Amino acid sequence: MLNVNQISKIYEGKIAYKALSDIHFTIEDGEFVGIMGPSGSGKTTLLNLIATIDEPTSGQILINGQNINQMKKNELARFRRRELGFIFQDFNLLHTLTVQENIVLPLTLDGSKVSEMKQKAAAIAEKLGITSIMDKRTYEISGGQAQRTAIARAMIHSPKMLLADEPTGNLDSKSARDVMEMLENINREQQTTMMLVTHDPVAASYCSRVIFIRDGQLYSEIHRGDNRQAFFQKIIDTLSLLGGHSNDISSIRL
Amino acid sequence: MTFRQFAYNNVARNKRLYAAYFLSSMFTVMVFFTFAIFAYHPLLAGGQINHNVQGGMSTAKWMIYVFSFFFVLYSMSSFLKTRKREFGLLMMQGMSPGQLRQMVFLENIIIGFAATLGGIVLGLVFAKAILLAGEHILVIEGSLDFYFPTRAILVTCLAFFILFVLISLFISSVLRSGKLIDLIKGSQQARSEPKASLVLSLLVLVLIGTGYTLSLLARGSDAFILLVPVSIIVSIGSYLLFTQLSVYIIRTLKSKESFFWNRTNMLLLSDLSYRMKDNARTFFLVCIVSTVSFCAIGSLYGLQTVVTRNVALSNPYVISFVSQSSDTDRSNTMATINQILNKHDLQAARTEQVLTEYNMENDKYTQLIISVSMYNQLAALSKRPLIQLATGETVAINPYSLELDRLKLPSATANGIAVKPDRLIQSGVLTVDEVTFVVPDDIYDRLGQPAGQRQLYVWAGDQEQTGILAAGKEIYSELKPSTKSHRITVPAYDVNQELGSYGAILFIGLFIGIVFFVSAGSFLYFRLYSDLDEDKQKFHSIAKLGLTIPELNRVLNRQIILLFFAPIVVALLHGAVALTTLANMFQVSLFKESLTVLGIFFLIQLIYFLIVRFFYIKQVRSAIR
Repeated sequence: MLNVNQISKIYEGKIAYKALSDIHFTIEDGEFVGIMGPSGSGKTTLLNLIATIDEPTSGQILINGQNINQMKKNELARFRRRELGFIFQDFNLLHTLTVQENIVLPLTLDGSKVSEMKQKAAAIAEKLGITSIMDKRTYEISGGQAQRTAIARAMIHSPKMLLADEPTGNLDSKSARDVMEMLENINREQQTTMMLVTHDPVAASYCSRVIFIRDGQLYSEIHRGDNRQAFFQKIIDTLSLLGGHSNDISSIRL
Repeated sequence: MTFRQFAYNNVARNKRLYAAYFLSSMFTVMVFFTFAIFAYHPLLAGGQINHNVQGGMSTAKWMIYVFSFFFVLYSMSSFLKTRKREFGLLMMQGMSPGQLRQMVFLENIIIGFAATLGGIVLGLVFAKAILLAGEHILVIEGSLDFYFPTRAILVTCLAFFILFVLISLFISSVLRSGKLIDLIKGSQQARSEPKASLVLSLLVLVLIGTGYTLSLLARGSDAFILLVPVSIIVSIGSYLLFTQLSVYIIRTLKSKESFFWNRTNMLLLSDLSYRMKDNARTFFLVCIVSTVSFCAIGSLYGLQTVVTRNVALSNPYVISFVSQSSDTDRSNTMATINQILNKHDLQAARTEQVLTEYNMENDKYTQLIISVSMYNQLAALSKRPLIQLATGETVAINPYSLELDRLKLPSATANGIAVKPDRLIQSGVLTVDEVTFVVPDDIYDRLGQPAGQRQLYVWAGDQEQTGILAAGKEIYSELKPSTKSHRITVPAYDVNQELGSYGAILFIGLFIGIVFFVSAGSFLYFRLYSDLDEDKQKFHSIAKLGLTIPELNRVLNRQIILLFFAPIVVALLHGAVALTTLANMFQVSLFKESLTVLGIFFLIQLIYFLIVRFFYIKQVRSAIR
């Protein structure tokens, strides 16, 4: 599904800064992968590269066998709205639109039929439990509802791959758990490939595999067995090996 | 939700964001439209007023149009800049560059349509008031009635439809999507602190100093020659002032920790230095635009004052009538004048005086020479200063002030007696156009037989009494004002006519000046509001550290003061120098006029500042709570 091939990212400037060096990994269809690492390790940079928001300095990224770095702007736009879905820490909903309108935005841009959009939006809202707030504006809803809206927006066009950047970062623990359970369900039911960048060991424990990076390089990876609790413990252990103590890493990135 | 609905909702539900852009567009339409109402007014278009005025109006209208184009373009681009993040987000959702352009285009058409409509409606509402003002300033006989300006509406609609379509096309092709990451990070990206060089900073002082010195030292027509080079020097100087010297000063202040680390100074200065790059261009633009508007209005106003003052100064009577000895119609003319005076019930005391001409330098030319007692008799009647002559002294009287000290004082002999004026006096008491010599009575008696003489009749009285304009009009139509053998002047009527034609120019100048000035204010407004989100965020986090409301007010107050007054003060200085040069050129004092014009502008800016500050501080404070 995703093939990250020897990518490096160097930020030019007075002092060139190497954010990522020779990152190499693959994600199979239907996998749910978490990326973890201390602040400044390059997690978000990596996600941005895969999300086609940024371009790598060297190396290639293949999604479904397509080299996303060679796509033209319009191709890329079409690719984003058909194949990719994004979830952000700060939701990034458009405050000019209602919840429902936010959800159907990718389809709108693709020129879908209104009836089809309505039907899809209703279905996904039902699944995520946000049917009652469909006509509200974004400032009238809570953080958890906003993130569920964002998930609905990311899922409505049934993307092949869902990318999430700290999806639980701005949420309380109850909402965070709800969101992660939803993602897990979607992953299980629709076989959507997911990649998640997070600081939060609890969130990461919902993944099937966690990749750790440090200082822009791959550090290690661990797989989840049957027990989420044991996986959580393994994550904590790896994090403490990664740098200092487990409680160094807060659940909310500031 | 179709794409079109999406674009519409985006505008309709986000009114505050679009308000500034919409209002400035609407304002531009309104200005153009009200001007068009004038230009197409049946009374003006019908040829009742002279062609110059009509031509001037038409040119001014299209100048406003061209200016509108750039103004809307600027508003638009600064408006789009604040929306970078939104564009990035939409592209993340899969919006193609084509769709982005399409959206911006649609938005612009919506806003443009509403602005055109709003501008026309607002223009119609104010039309009557503006027509009244115009009538007063233009001194038009009859009244500028309100009419339904079909043609003006059509022209405005068409002109602005074209303008908005052109700008939308232009902008959307310029709207390079760039890298997505830059769009999404938008204003979060660290901006580099601008650098300043000491040499260029010092060059500012040299350039502006040179420009000012040159223009202040210019005398007479030198000013015309110097106009272009001085404008260029001062423009470059002002540009460097804002891009180099200001940055240099801020950096110097920042390096002084005793100052920089003192209370809120740190907040203020660190922001200033980072924003200076964006600010500098706006400041320069505002400074130049305001200078142009000060100079335009100041010089027109000054010129008008000079002209009316000259006409009034040169002839202090209700009516004057100079009759040559060859005038055979004298008694008829006198009878007509008296009859018209009586008809309009004008209060005026008639006096007559003989003006004598002598052959000079052995008949080479003739020169008006009168005795000091003859002069003083007229001067007393018209309440002008009397002349006291020392023994043997001669004075030359010049009716016009403009070339007072350029006139060479000739030494000459009249009938063999040497007459050399010792000084020049500006006075219109004698009502003639030529320079006249006033000599002591004893010398006058020795001059002997004059070569010719003119009979001067004057009616002295209040120049502002009612009926004088009607009487003047009647006199000028019944009698020829100026022939070979006589000349009749009704100064009050002349001044009124002058006011009429200068009034038109003044009106156009005022209009354009105000347009420039208000748009300069809008530039500042846009600049300030593009920083609003950043300020909100900044003060939100600082407030958590403990920032009292008075401290917040103080920082914001200083920040806005600098933004609003730095360019205006420089522009006021430029304007003051330019008006002084103008005054020097015409050799009149325009101090009062300059002070009035510059003072009014300063006052408007002050009011504008107070309003903007109130809302800005309110907005930032709302973010803190």
